[in-house]
Amino acid sequence: MTALYDELRPVSVEQHYRVSHFLNYEYRLLDDERFDDWLGLMHEEVHYWMPGIENRRRENLLEHGFYAADHMAFFDDGLRDLGRRVARFKQPSAWAENPATRNVHQLTNVEVYYGENDGEYVVHSTFQSVRSRGLDEEYVIYGRRQDLIVQDGESFKIKKRLILIPNATLTCKNINTFL
Amino acid sequence: MGNIIKTLDVTDSLTGLKDVCDLENGRIAGKIFYDQEIYEQELEKVFARCWLFVAHESQIPKTGDYITTSMGEDEVIVIRQKSGGIKVFLNACPHRGNKVCFAESGSTRGFICNYHGWSFNVEGNLVGQHESGVYEDSNFDKSKWGLKEVAQVDSYKGLVFATFDANAPSLKEYLGPIAWYMDALFDNQEGGTEFVGGCIRSTYECNWKIAAENFVGDILHAGWTHDSAARAMLGGSVAKVSDFEESYSVNWNGHGYEFALDTVGNVAVLGESALNKYLHTIKPSVAERLGDFRSNMIGSVSSCTIFPNFSFLPGQNTVRIWQPRGPNKMELFTWVVVNKSAPEEVKEKWRKGAMMTFSPTGVFEMDDGENWEYCTKTAKGRVTAQQDLFVGLGMDTLLTDTPLPANVYEGQLNEANSRAFYQYWYDMLNSRSWNEVPNRNVGKQEAE
Repeated sequence: MTALYDELRPVSVEQHYRVSHFLNYEYRLLDDERFDDWLGLMHEEVHYWMPGIENRRRENLLEHGFYAADHMAFFDDGLRDLGRRVARFKQPSAWAENPATRNVHQLTNVEVYYGENDGEYVVHSTFQSVRSRGLDEEYVIYGRRQDLIVQDGESFKIKKRLILIPNATLTCKNINTFL
Repeated sequence: MGNIIKTLDVTDSLTGLKDVCDLENGRIAGKIFYDQEIYEQELEKVFARCWLFVAHESQIPKTGDYITTSMGEDEVIVIRQKSGGIKVFLNACPHRGNKVCFAESGSTRGFICNYHGWSFNVEGNLVGQHESGVYEDSNFDKSKWGLKEVAQVDSYKGLVFATFDANAPSLKEYLGPIAWYMDALFDNQEGGTEFVGGCIRSTYECNWKIAAENFVGDILHAGWTHDSAARAMLGGSVAKVSDFEESYSVNWNGHGYEFALDTVGNVAVLGESALNKYLHTIKPSVAERLGDFRSNMIGSVSSCTIFPNFSFLPGQNTVRIWQPRGPNKMELFTWVVVNKSAPEEVKEKWRKGAMMTFSPTGVFEMDDGENWEYCTKTAKGRVTAQQDLFVGLGMDTLLTDTPLPANVYEGQLNEANSRAFYQYWYDMLNSRSWNEVPNRNVGKQEAE
C-alpha cells in the first residue's frame, strides 16, 4: 500500500542524487556486459525477485494481488543463483550470446526514502529494458521496481529487488538480462 | 443436451505433404513450420480432434474453481463441478461470442458476459440475462443456449485432457502404453502430484512442432546446446548420453518418451543436492510401487511429449504446453509439478530449480529459444523451405524382443521418436476420420 505523501521520509536532494547515480551506474554495467562488477554490487543476502504476474479477478486476488511468494517466478534468486546466471553469460559456449545481445537499460521515476534501519534506503522506480539481437530482433520490457539498498562505505549494496512487470504473458522468448 | 459443441465438417486434406514429410526416408522440410495452409489444417485435423492437456486436477480442487487455457487457438474454461467432475467449455458467450471469463484462474459461482449480461452457472447452463422479459416474449429456450461444452474430458493420474471430437478414441486408448512410462513422474508416490501455483507464459516466434519434437525425443541437442548452462550450474559439461549403457526411445500414436536409467541425471542439473537426495530416498518405495525398472526413471536423463503439444521433463519437473499461435508463433505455458507428499522445502527447491533452468529465465532454455526460432525463420525462404532436413538417426533400432511396452527403440540418441511424431502428424492431416488413421504401432500394449 502506498503511504500518504506526508508520511514518507524522502532523503535529501544530495542523497537522492547519490542513490540514483548508483542505480544508473549499475544499469550501465549491465549494458557494458560487466557482469562480475555488477554481481559485486549485490549484498550477500540479496533477494532478487521477479514474480510471475497472474491475471486474476479482484475477488480472487493472491497474497500480493497479482503475485504470491510461493507461486512461479521469473527470478527468485539469492547471490548463488545470480552467480550461476552470470557464469552462463561468460561461457564461450553460450551460443545464443554470440553475436552479443545489445542492451539499453533505463531507470526513471526514482523516489528515495529512508529505510527502517540506519544506512538503508527504499527506492521506488520504473524501468525500461530494450534488447536487440541479430539484425532485427527487439524486445522491450517495462516495469516497476522496489529496491532496498544499504550504505556500503562510499557506495551501496543492493539487498532486495522486487521487479514487477504489467504483463501476464511475457512478450518475448526469454529474459537474457537483469532488470 | 443442446449445449455440446458441433463437430466440424472435415475439409479435404492437402496434396503434396509427402514431399515435405517423408519419414520412411528420414526427411522433412521447413515448409511444415512456416506454411499458413498447413497450419489451418493442423488447427482442424490435429487440435480440433486430438486429446489436449488442459489442466492438472490440483489446480481446481473445489467446486467452482476454474482455469482458462486454450485448445489449439480455441479458448476454453476448465471448471470443477459439484459432482467432483470437470467440465470444459468454450470461453465464448453463445449470444455474440464475447469472451465470458477474462481471468486465468479463480473460483466462482458462474460467469456473466459483459456484453448483454447472459449469466451461466458452474454447469454451463444459461440461468439469466439482462432484460430477461424480452427473451420470454420471443419464446426463447434458455436450455439450448448454455456455454458450449467440449465433447470429451478425462483424466490420467491428475492430468486433465479434453477433445473437441466426440468420435475420438478414449484417452486410455489414445495414450496407450506411454501412460505406463508417464507413471515414473506422475504416479511414483502415494497421493500423486500437484502443480505449484501460477503459470509462466511466454511468446516464441517459432512453430509449435519444433518445441514438441525437442521434448519427444531430442536429447541429442542437450550436450551441445546446453553446454554453457551445465557449466554454470554444475561446473562441468552435461552427462555424456552416449556413455549410458542402457537407454531407450519409446513411442505410440505420435507420443514419445526418451530416457536413460540413471535415476538423477535430469534432477542433477538443478544443482540442489537436496533434490537428488529426495529421489534417492523415495526410490525404494517407487520400486515397490512401479517395479525396479521405472524407479530408475524418476529423475533420469529423459523427456516426453504427448502428441500434439503437451511435454514434460522428469527430474526438472517442468511441464509445458506449446500453444499454436500461427505457423511461426507459439505461446508457451510453463508449470512445475511436485509430489503431493514431498516435504515443503523439497517442493520449494523444485519451484526455484525449474525456474533457474527450464523457464524463460532459465539458463538452459535461453539457448533453446534461439535455436527453435531460427529453425522456423529460415523456412521463410521459398527455396530453403523445400529443402530436405535430415531426421534419419537410428532407422534400424526397433527392438522386437523386449518386455517393455510401446514401440521400443534402442538408445535415446535416436530420431525414432521424432519420426514417429511427424508420422502421426502426417497421418492425422491425411485422415478424414479416426478410422482412417493408420495403426503404425508394432509394440506391446502392456509391460510383461
